[in-house]
Amino acid sequence: MPLSLLIPGTDLREKALSRYREFTAHGEGGLPVVLRSDAQSVRRPECKDPNFSYVLDDTSMLLDSFGAEFHGVRHEYALDSLLRILLTMVLLPQRGFLLHAATVVRDGRAYVFTGRSGAGKSTVASLSPAGTVMTDEISLLRFTDGCWQAYGTPFWGEFRAAGQNEHYPIAGIYTLVQSAEDRVESLTTKEMIRALLPCVLFFTSKVEANEDLLRLLLGFVGQVPCERLHFRRDDGFWKVIAA
Amino acid sequence: MNLFPERNPKLAWREIDGEAVIISPEDSHVHELNETASLIWTSADGRHSVDDIADVMAAKYDVPLPVAKADACELIEMLSAKGLLVSPKAEAQAGA
Repeated sequence: MPLSLLIPGTDLREKALSRYREFTAHGEGGLPVVLRSDAQSVRRPECKDPNFSYVLDDTSMLLDSFGAEFHGVRHEYALDSLLRILLTMVLLPQRGFLLHAATVVRDGRAYVFTGRSGAGKSTVASLSPAGTVMTDEISLLRFTDGCWQAYGTPFWGEFRAAGQNEHYPIAGIYTLVQSAEDRVESLTTKEMIRALLPCVLFFTSKVEANEDLLRLLLGFVGQVPCERLHFRRDDGFWKVIAA
Repeated sequence: MNLFPERNPKLAWREIDGEAVIISPEDSHVHELNETASLIWTSADGRHSVDDIADVMAAKYDVPLPVAKADACELIEMLSAKGLLVSPKAEAQAGA
Protein backbone atom coordinates (compact mmCIF):
# COMPACT_ATOMS: atom_id res chain seq x y z
CA MET A 1 0.00 0.00 0.00
CA PRO A 2 1.69 3.22 -1.10
CA LEU A 3 2.18 6.05 1.34
CA SER A 4 0.17 8.80 -0.29
CA LEU A 5 1.40 12.31 0.47
CA LEU A 6 -0.50 15.42 -0.55
CA ILE A 7 1.87 18.38 -0.71
CA PRO A 8 0.08 21.43 -2.13
CA GLY A 9 3.14 23.67 -2.49
CA THR A 10 4.94 23.27 -5.81
CA ASP A 11 8.35 24.22 -4.44
CA LEU A 12 8.23 21.75 -1.58
CA ARG A 13 6.71 19.05 -3.75
CA GLU A 14 9.59 19.34 -6.22
CA LYS A 15 12.09 19.10 -3.38
CA ALA A 16 10.25 16.09 -2.03
CA LEU A 17 10.22 14.47 -5.47
CA SER A 18 13.99 14.79 -5.50
CA ARG A 19 14.50 13.75 -1.90
CA TYR A 20 12.25 10.70 -2.09
CA ARG A 21 12.95 9.83 -5.73
CA GLU A 22 13.93 6.26 -4.96
CA PHE A 23 10.63 5.77 -3.16
CA THR A 24 8.21 7.47 -5.54
CA ALA A 25 8.73 4.65 -8.01
CA HIS A 26 6.74 1.69 -6.75
CA GLY A 27 9.42 -0.68 -5.61
CA GLU A 28 8.29 -4.25 -5.46
CA GLY A 29 7.28 -4.73 -1.85
CA GLY A 30 9.34 -1.77 -0.71
CA LEU A 31 8.04 1.46 0.71
CA PRO A 32 6.33 3.15 -2.21
CA VAL A 33 5.54 6.82 -1.82
CA VAL A 34 3.10 8.75 -3.97
CA LEU A 35 3.42 12.52 -4.01
CA ARG A 36 0.29 14.36 -5.03
CA SER A 37 -0.62 17.97 -5.65
CA ASP A 38 -4.03 19.60 -5.22
CA ALA A 39 -4.79 19.06 -8.90
CA GLN A 40 -4.19 15.34 -8.61
CA SER A 41 -6.07 15.03 -5.38
CA VAL A 42 -9.20 12.96 -5.16
CA ARG A 43 -9.65 13.70 -1.50
CA ARG A 44 -12.51 15.75 -0.23
CA PRO A 45 -11.68 19.46 0.09
CA GLU A 46 -11.48 19.45 3.86
CA CYS A 47 -10.28 16.64 6.02
CA LYS A 48 -12.34 17.27 9.12
CA ASP A 49 -11.99 13.96 10.86
CA PRO A 50 -8.43 12.70 10.44
CA ASN A 51 -7.15 9.56 12.08
CA PHE A 52 -4.18 11.54 13.21
CA SER A 53 -3.26 15.19 13.13
CA TYR A 54 -0.16 17.06 14.08
CA VAL A 55 -0.13 20.83 14.27
CA LEU A 56 2.88 22.97 15.02
CA ASP A 57 2.55 26.73 14.65
CA ASP A 58 1.28 27.24 11.10
CA THR A 59 2.33 23.76 9.98
CA SER A 60 -0.04 20.83 9.95
CA MET A 61 -0.17 17.19 9.00
CA LEU A 62 -3.37 15.20 8.69
CA LEU A 63 -3.66 11.50 8.18
CA ASP A 64 -6.76 9.62 7.13
CA SER A 65 -7.62 6.72 4.88
CA PHE A 66 -6.80 8.82 1.79
CA GLY A 67 -3.23 9.36 2.88
CA ALA A 68 -1.33 12.19 4.49
CA GLU A 69 -1.79 15.87 3.84
CA PHE A 70 0.81 18.51 4.64
CA HIS A 71 0.14 22.21 4.88
CA GLY A 72 2.41 25.11 5.65
CA VAL A 73 5.57 23.02 5.48
CA ARG A 74 8.22 25.16 3.87
CA HIS A 75 11.37 23.13 4.18
CA GLU A 76 12.21 19.61 3.07
CA TYR A 77 13.85 18.85 6.41
CA ALA A 78 10.63 19.75 8.20
CA LEU A 79 8.82 17.45 5.78
CA ASP A 80 11.33 14.73 6.67
CA SER A 81 10.55 15.14 10.37
CA LEU A 82 6.81 15.04 9.78
CA LEU A 83 7.19 12.01 7.56
CA ARG A 84 9.00 10.16 10.34
CA ILE A 85 6.19 10.96 12.76
CA LEU A 86 3.67 9.87 10.16
CA LEU A 87 5.47 6.61 9.52
CA THR A 88 5.51 5.67 13.20
CA MET A 89 1.72 6.01 13.17
CA VAL A 90 1.20 4.13 9.93
CA LEU A 91 3.65 1.33 10.65
CA LEU A 92 2.51 0.26 14.12
CA PRO A 93 -0.69 -1.51 13.03
CA GLN A 94 1.31 -3.02 10.16
CA ARG A 95 3.77 -4.60 12.58
CA GLY A 96 6.55 -2.14 11.84
CA PHE A 97 8.59 0.56 13.50
CA LEU A 98 11.39 3.03 12.88
CA LEU A 99 14.65 2.54 14.72
CA HIS A 100 17.76 4.66 15.07
CA ALA A 101 19.96 2.16 13.31
CA ALA A 102 22.24 1.62 10.36
CA THR A 103 21.38 -1.27 8.08
CA VAL A 104 23.90 -3.03 5.89
CA VAL A 105 23.08 -5.77 3.40
CA ARG A 106 25.41 -8.73 3.14
CA ASP A 107 24.75 -11.89 1.17
CA GLY A 108 21.12 -10.92 0.73
CA ARG A 109 20.41 -10.40 4.40
CA ALA A 110 20.14 -7.24 6.47
CA TYR A 111 22.36 -6.58 9.47
CA VAL A 112 20.93 -3.88 11.71
CA PHE A 113 23.24 -1.86 13.97
CA THR A 114 21.48 0.24 16.56
CA GLY A 115 22.51 2.74 19.16
CA ARG A 116 22.10 6.30 20.21
CA SER A 117 23.93 9.18 18.61
CA GLY A 118 27.68 8.53 18.73
CA ALA A 119 27.34 4.77 19.19
CA GLY A 120 28.93 4.06 15.82
CA LYS A 121 26.12 3.71 13.28
CA SER A 122 27.84 5.92 10.73
CA THR A 123 31.19 4.29 11.51
CA VAL A 124 29.76 0.88 10.69
CA ALA A 125 28.25 2.30 7.51
CA SER A 126 31.58 3.87 6.52
CA LEU A 127 33.32 0.51 6.99
CA SER A 128 30.87 -1.25 4.67
CA PRO A 129 31.26 -1.62 0.91
CA ALA A 130 29.60 0.99 -1.28
CA GLY A 131 26.05 0.07 -2.22
CA THR A 132 25.48 -2.20 0.75
CA VAL A 133 24.32 0.47 3.19
CA MET A 134 20.53 0.87 3.25
CA THR A 135 20.69 3.68 5.79
CA ASP A 136 23.18 4.96 8.34
CA GLU A 137 20.62 6.60 10.61
CA ILE A 138 17.01 5.37 10.64
CA SER A 139 15.93 1.88 9.69
CA LEU A 140 12.41 0.69 8.99
CA LEU A 141 11.81 -2.78 10.40
CA ARG A 142 8.64 -4.63 9.64
CA PHE A 143 7.20 -8.13 9.84
CA THR A 144 6.20 -9.08 6.31
CA ASP A 145 6.06 -12.31 4.34
CA GLY A 146 6.47 -14.36 7.48
CA CYS A 147 9.65 -12.77 8.79
CA TRP A 148 11.15 -9.53 10.03
CA GLN A 149 12.62 -7.45 7.24
CA ALA A 150 14.61 -4.24 7.01
CA TYR A 151 13.38 -1.66 4.52
CA GLY A 152 15.33 1.17 3.00
CA THR A 153 14.36 4.66 4.11
CA PRO A 154 15.08 8.13 2.78
CA PHE A 155 16.40 9.11 6.21
CA TRP A 156 20.14 9.42 6.47
CA GLY A 157 22.71 10.81 8.88
CA GLU A 158 26.24 11.63 7.83
CA PHE A 159 25.91 9.66 4.59
CA ARG A 160 23.68 11.68 2.34
CA ALA A 161 22.05 9.38 -0.17
CA ALA A 162 18.70 8.81 -1.80
CA GLY A 163 18.25 5.48 -0.10
CA GLN A 164 17.22 2.16 -1.55
CA ASN A 165 13.60 1.20 -1.88
CA GLU A 166 14.33 -2.42 -1.15
CA HIS A 167 13.91 -4.83 1.70
CA TYR A 168 15.82 -7.80 3.02
CA PRO A 169 15.22 -10.38 5.75
CA ILE A 170 17.00 -9.42 8.94
CA ALA A 171 19.96 -11.65 9.84
CA GLY A 172 20.45 -10.01 13.23
CA ILE A 173 20.34 -6.81 15.21
CA TYR A 174 23.31 -5.52 17.16
CA THR A 175 23.54 -2.83 19.80
CA LEU A 176 26.81 -1.00 19.26
CA VAL A 177 29.60 -0.51 21.77
CA GLN A 178 32.93 0.86 20.57
CA SER A 179 35.67 -1.25 22.09
CA ALA A 180 39.26 -2.44 21.81
CA GLU A 181 38.16 -5.83 20.54
CA ASP A 182 35.57 -7.34 18.26
CA ARG A 183 33.16 -9.66 20.02
CA VAL A 184 29.47 -10.30 20.41
CA GLU A 185 27.63 -10.66 23.68
CA SER A 186 24.32 -12.38 24.17
CA LEU A 187 21.51 -10.30 25.66
CA THR A 188 18.43 -11.31 27.56
CA THR A 189 15.06 -10.26 26.26
CA LYS A 190 14.84 -7.56 28.90
CA GLU A 191 18.33 -6.27 28.14
CA MET A 192 17.49 -6.07 24.46
CA ILE A 193 14.21 -4.28 25.10
CA ARG A 194 16.11 -1.88 27.36
CA ALA A 195 18.59 -1.25 24.54
CA LEU A 196 15.92 -0.87 21.86
CA LEU A 197 13.42 1.41 23.59
CA PRO A 198 15.55 4.58 23.59
CA CYS A 199 16.33 4.01 19.91
CA VAL A 200 12.76 3.49 18.70
CA LEU A 201 11.15 6.53 17.09
CA PHE A 202 7.76 6.89 18.69
CA PHE A 203 5.79 10.05 19.24
CA THR A 204 2.35 9.22 20.56
CA SER A 205 1.35 9.45 24.21
CA LYS A 206 -1.59 7.07 23.76
CA VAL A 207 -1.31 4.22 26.26
CA GLU A 208 -2.74 1.64 23.86
CA ALA A 209 -0.22 2.53 21.16
CA ASN A 210 2.64 2.22 23.65
CA GLU A 211 1.29 -1.16 24.75
CA ASP A 212 1.18 -2.21 21.10
CA LEU A 213 4.76 -1.05 20.64
CA LEU A 214 5.97 -3.06 23.61
CA ARG A 215 4.14 -6.12 22.32
CA LEU A 216 5.64 -5.60 18.87
CA LEU A 217 9.18 -5.21 20.24
CA LEU A 218 8.82 -8.35 22.34
CA GLY A 219 7.80 -10.25 19.22
CA PHE A 220 10.73 -8.75 17.34
CA VAL A 221 13.25 -9.67 20.04
CA GLY A 222 11.82 -13.18 20.18
CA GLN A 223 12.17 -13.74 16.46
CA VAL A 224 15.36 -11.91 15.49
CA PRO A 225 18.85 -12.76 16.79
CA CYS A 226 19.82 -9.90 19.11
CA GLU A 227 23.33 -9.29 20.43
CA ARG A 228 25.57 -6.55 21.73
CA LEU A 229 28.45 -5.90 19.36
CA HIS A 230 31.72 -4.66 20.79
CA PHE A 231 33.72 -3.41 17.83
CA ARG A 232 36.87 -1.63 16.85
CA ARG A 233 36.86 1.06 14.21
CA ASP A 234 37.61 -1.35 11.39
CA ASP A 235 35.69 -3.95 9.46
CA GLY A 236 36.90 -6.85 11.63
CA PHE A 237 33.52 -6.98 13.32
CA TRP A 238 32.08 -8.87 10.36
CA LYS A 239 34.16 -11.86 11.36
CA VAL A 240 32.39 -12.15 14.69
CA ILE A 241 28.84 -11.47 13.58
CA ALA A 242 28.88 -13.45 10.36
CA ALA A 243 30.68 -16.38 12.02
CA MET B 1 -1.14 4.37 52.24
CA ASN B 2 -2.86 2.82 49.23
CA LEU B 3 -5.32 0.32 50.72
CA PHE B 4 -6.31 -1.01 47.31
CA PRO B 5 -3.41 -0.12 45.06
CA GLU B 6 -4.03 -0.01 41.35
CA ARG B 7 -1.73 0.34 38.40
CA ASN B 8 -1.78 3.83 36.94
CA PRO B 9 -3.95 3.41 33.82
CA LYS B 10 -1.91 6.04 32.00
CA LEU B 11 1.06 3.69 31.80
CA ALA B 12 1.90 1.01 29.27
CA TRP B 13 3.61 -2.13 30.48
CA ARG B 14 4.60 -5.68 29.73
CA GLU B 15 6.02 -8.40 31.90
CA ILE B 16 9.36 -9.63 30.59
CA ASP B 17 11.02 -12.65 32.19
CA GLY B 18 8.91 -12.14 35.31
CA GLU B 19 9.74 -8.46 35.68
CA ALA B 20 7.63 -5.48 34.67
CA VAL B 21 8.84 -2.93 32.15
CA ILE B 22 6.68 0.16 32.31
CA ILE B 23 6.54 3.06 29.87
CA SER B 24 5.18 6.45 30.79
CA PRO B 25 3.93 7.63 27.38
CA GLU B 26 3.72 11.25 28.44
CA ASP B 27 7.45 11.61 29.05
CA SER B 28 8.75 8.38 27.44
CA HIS B 29 10.31 7.41 30.75
CA VAL B 30 10.92 3.69 31.20
CA HIS B 31 10.65 2.05 34.62
CA GLU B 32 11.99 -1.41 35.27
CA LEU B 33 10.84 -3.28 38.36
CA ASN B 34 12.58 -6.13 40.10
CA GLU B 35 10.79 -9.39 40.78
CA THR B 36 9.26 -8.37 44.11
CA ALA B 37 8.09 -4.98 42.90
CA SER B 38 6.75 -6.68 39.78
CA LEU B 39 4.70 -9.03 41.95
CA ILE B 40 3.09 -6.03 43.61
CA TRP B 41 2.63 -4.33 40.26
CA THR B 42 0.85 -7.28 38.70
CA SER B 43 -1.28 -7.78 41.83
CA ALA B 44 -2.28 -4.13 42.01
CA ASP B 45 -5.58 -4.34 40.20
CA GLY B 46 -7.60 -2.11 42.53
CA ARG B 47 -9.49 -5.13 43.90
CA HIS B 48 -6.80 -6.71 46.03
CA SER B 49 -5.90 -5.03 49.30
CA VAL B 50 -2.45 -4.57 50.76
CA ASP B 51 -3.21 -7.52 53.04
CA ASP B 52 -4.08 -9.67 50.03
CA ILE B 53 -0.81 -8.73 48.34
CA ALA B 54 1.15 -9.38 51.53
CA ASP B 55 -0.41 -12.85 51.70
CA VAL B 56 0.82 -13.61 48.19
CA MET B 57 4.30 -12.32 49.01
CA ALA B 58 4.51 -14.30 52.25
CA ALA B 59 3.56 -17.49 50.44
CA LYS B 60 5.82 -16.92 47.45
CA TYR B 61 8.95 -15.92 49.39
CA ASP B 62 8.23 -18.05 52.47
CA VAL B 63 8.53 -15.17 54.95
CA PRO B 64 6.39 -14.34 57.99
CA LEU B 65 3.27 -12.35 57.15
CA PRO B 66 4.30 -9.26 59.19
CA VAL B 67 7.59 -9.10 57.29
CA ALA B 68 5.81 -9.49 53.96
CA LYS B 69 3.31 -6.80 54.86
CA ALA B 70 6.05 -4.37 55.89
CA ASP B 71 7.87 -4.99 52.62
CA ALA B 72 4.66 -4.67 50.63
CA CYS B 73 3.80 -1.37 52.31
CA GLU B 74 7.26 0.01 51.65
CA LEU B 75 7.21 -0.99 47.99
CA ILE B 76 3.66 0.27 47.45
CA GLU B 77 4.60 3.63 48.90
CA MET B 78 7.66 3.77 46.68
CA LEU B 79 5.68 2.86 43.57
CA SER B 80 2.95 5.31 44.50
CA ALA B 81 5.48 8.08 45.04
CA LYS B 82 6.75 7.47 41.51
CA GLY B 83 3.20 7.72 40.20
CA LEU B 84 3.11 4.11 39.09
CA LEU B 85 0.31 3.12 41.47
CA VAL B 86 -2.91 4.90 42.29
CA SER B 87 -5.59 4.07 44.81
CA PRO B 88 -9.07 4.94 43.57
CA LYS B 89 -10.88 3.14 46.39
CA ALA B 90 -8.92 4.93 49.08
CA GLU B 91 -9.53 8.23 47.31
CA ALA B 92 -13.22 7.46 46.98
CA GLN B 93 -13.45 6.54 50.66
CA ALA B 94 -11.65 9.72 51.64
CA GLY B 95 -14.02 11.76 49.51
CA ALA B 96 -17.18 10.05 50.82
